[in-house]
Amino acid sequence: MTKKLLALIMALCLVLAATSALAETLTVTAWDNNFNGNALRAAEADYKANVDPDFALDITIGSGSSDVENAVTNAGSSGDYSLLSDIVLFQDRYIKNFVENYPDAWVSLEGADINWDDITAVKQSYSTIDGVHYGAPVDNGTVITAYRVDLLQEAGYTIEDMKGITWDKFLEVGKAVYAKTGKALLSMDGSGNDLPYMMLQAEGVSLWKDGKPFVVGNEKLKRVIEILTEMEKEHVLILANDWTGYTNETIVGDQVAGVINGNWIIPTMTQVTENTGKWQITSMPTLDGGEGYATNGGSSLYITGNCKNVELAKKFLAYTFGGSKQTYDEALRTGGVVTCSISAGQSEVYGEGVAFFNNQPIYKDITEMGSKIIPVEESPFHYVLRGYLGVAMQQIKDGADIDTALKEAEDACLFYMEGMGY
Amino acid sequence: MNKKRGFGLLAKQKAAGWAFLTPASLLIFAMSFYPMVRAFITSLQTGPAAKLKWAEPIFKNYTRMVNDKVFLTAMGNTFLYLAIQVPIMLILAILLAQLLNNKDLKFRGLYRTLIFLPCATSLVSYSLIFKTLFAREGLINSILMGLGIIQENVNWLGTSTTAKAVIIIALLWRWTGYNMVFFLAGLQNIEYSVYEAASIDGANGWKTFWHVTVPLLRPVIVMTGIMSINGTLQLFDESVNLTSGGPANATITMSHYIYNNALGQGVANFGYASALSFIVFILVGILAFINLKVGDTRD
Repeated sequence: MTKKLLALIMALCLVLAATSALAETLTVTAWDNNFNGNALRAAEADYKANVDPDFALDITIGSGSSDVENAVTNAGSSGDYSLLSDIVLFQDRYIKNFVENYPDAWVSLEGADINWDDITAVKQSYSTIDGVHYGAPVDNGTVITAYRVDLLQEAGYTIEDMKGITWDKFLEVGKAVYAKTGKALLSMDGSGNDLPYMMLQAEGVSLWKDGKPFVVGNEKLKRVIEILTEMEKEHVLILANDWTGYTNETIVGDQVAGVINGNWIIPTMTQVTENTGKWQITSMPTLDGGEGYATNGGSSLYITGNCKNVELAKKFLAYTFGGSKQTYDEALRTGGVVTCSISAGQSEVYGEGVAFFNNQPIYKDITEMGSKIIPVEESPFHYVLRGYLGVAMQQIKDGADIDTALKEAEDACLFYMEGMGY
Repeated sequence: MNKKRGFGLLAKQKAAGWAFLTPASLLIFAMSFYPMVRAFITSLQTGPAAKLKWAEPIFKNYTRMVNDKVFLTAMGNTFLYLAIQVPIMLILAILLAQLLNNKDLKFRGLYRTLIFLPCATSLVSYSLIFKTLFAREGLINSILMGLGIIQENVNWLGTSTTAKAVIIIALLWRWTGYNMVFFLAGLQNIEYSVYEAASIDGANGWKTFWHVTVPLLRPVIVMTGIMSINGTLQLFDESVNLTSGGPANATITMSHYIYNNALGQGVANFGYASALSFIVFILVGILAFINLKVGDTRD
C-alpha cells in the first residue's frame, strides 16, 4: 500500500513539475544525487553561463536506477508517456529493449550537433539502434582493476607485476596475498554479478550470439567460471550473498585487496578513508595473458516522447554532454563522473593525480582504457541471464557439475525469452 | 403534505444503507475487481508490455508453468515456509495468549505490548535488520563465536538450509505477536464460569486448555490460519530484502518470482507474471476452502 501511495505522490509531483515548467526549462529524472545529479547540475551551470542565461533544469532524483527504468516500463505498457520527464537518465543496457518495445517513447538525437567520433565506440554501441543515436553519454563504465599496493608488496608483488597477467597468475598472487595478509584479492556479488561478463569482454567474447544466450559451448565462459570457482575455493575470491554484501561487507568492510568493476565503484572504495594512498589501478588480467579492457554499466540521457521542447533538449545535450570540457571537468570534480568524450578526457583536471590512488592520474588512465574496449554483442536479456549465471555459479561452488549447471542457466534464460516471443 | 410521496421509514433506512455502501463498493470495484479482470485478460496475452498479443494457444502462459523450474522451486520454497512456519507460529501464539491472559500475571500489559511490537515495524526494515544480524560478520556469528559454539563465521544467508531457517525465524518474530492478539481477544470472550465448571469437574490445566479453550477458540484459529496461509503464499518482502531469493534461488518465493518477471530484470513479461499471480490466487482459495471445511464446527 505504501508503495502505491508513494507512486501516486511521485506521479502528482511530476504532473506539478510538468505544468509549472517554463519555456526554457527542461525536466530531467536521474537517481544518484551526488553522482549523476552533480553531473546534471554541472551541465546546467555550463549551459546557463555560456549559451542561455534563462535556461534551467528541473531535476528529479529517484532512489535508484530501477525507479527510472520501472517508470519507463509502466509508462510504456500503459501507453501514457505524459508522466515522463523531458529527459530521463538510465542504464545503457535498457535502451535497445525500450526502443524496440516502446518506440513512441523516445526521440532520437538525429540532427543534434554532436561529434560522435569523439565518443568512445563502446558507449555508442549501446545506444545506437540501426545507425540512429538515442543516448547522450553521461558516465563511462570502463572497468578498473584496483589493487592494494601495500598488501601486494607484503606478498612480494608490485602493481607492475599485475599488468597483463593471466588469471592463473592472478590466482597464484591471490593465494600469496591471502597467506600473508588474510585478505581476498577479489570479491563479487554471488547472486548475479557482472564479473564473468567483464572477464569475457576482456577476451572479446560475449555471453550472446545472434540474439541467443551463448553459454553452452562457450569455452572461454567455461574457463572463466572454472577459474572463479577455483579462486573461491582458495579464499582468493569472496562470493558475497548479494549486492549490498559485496559493497558494504567486502569493500567498505575492508576484506579485499583488489576490486574489479566499472569505475563507478570508486566512490564505494573511497569510503574507507584510512586506505588513502594505498590503492592503484591497472587493466584486467586475461585468460591467456595480455591486458584486458572491459566496460560495465554507465548511463546516458534520453529524450522522451513527452518532451515539450525537443530542439532545446537536443541543443542542451549536444552542447554539454556532447563534449563540453567545462561540464565534464565540473562533473568529475563534484561527482566523480568520468566522461566518454575522448577530447574532454584530455583536460588538465583529468590529468591530476588522485590522492586516494597514490596520486596516480586514474581518470586519464580510465579514459584511455575506455578507448581500447572492444564492443561485444549485447542483449536486453542481459540481467536475466546474469541472474541465472549467478545461480549456476552458486551450484557449481556447492559441487554441481559445471556443464549441467551452465546448461540449466541457458535453458532458464531461453525459457524466459521464449515466454516473450523471442 | 402527501405522505405517499415521501419514503417510508424502512425505505429510508435502506437508502441510507446503500448510500453508505456505494462509495466503498465503487472504490473496491474500481481499485480491486477491475484490475483483477484486466490481470486475467493480461494473463492470456504474451510479448513485450506495449505490444501484448493473444497467446497461442490461449492458455499458454498457464501451461508453460509446468516446465518452469524456477517457479516450481519458488512454489516448493513457499510451501516449505507454510508447512513449517504457520503451525509453529499459531501454536506459539495460542500458548503466549494463554499465558498473558492469566489475571494474576504482573506487568501483562507490558508483555503484551512487547510481543505485539514487532508488528509495528516495517517489513523492509525488519528484513534488513535480520540481514545485518545474520551477516557473515554479524551479531549472531559474534555471539556464537564468543560462546565457542562455532569455530568460524557461518554464512547464514549464503547456505540454502540456513537461509531458509533465517527466513522462518524472521517470520516467527514478526508475526507471532500479531496472531497472539487475535487469540487474546478470543480468550476474553470465553466466560470465566466455563473454566470454573471445568475445575469443579476435576480438569487439570492441560485438560482445560485442550478440551475447553481450544474448541472455544476454533473460529479464531480458523481465521488466523486463513490469514497466515494467505500471507505466506504472498510472501515477498523477506525473500527480496533478506536473501534476494538466494543462494541459487533456494529461498525465492512465488511473489518474488512474479515480481522478477514483471519488473525485476529489465524485460517485463506482464502476461506470464499475471498468469503466475492467478495461480497463487487459486492456491490461496483452495487452501482457505480446506481450512474452512476442517474448521467447520457444525456437525
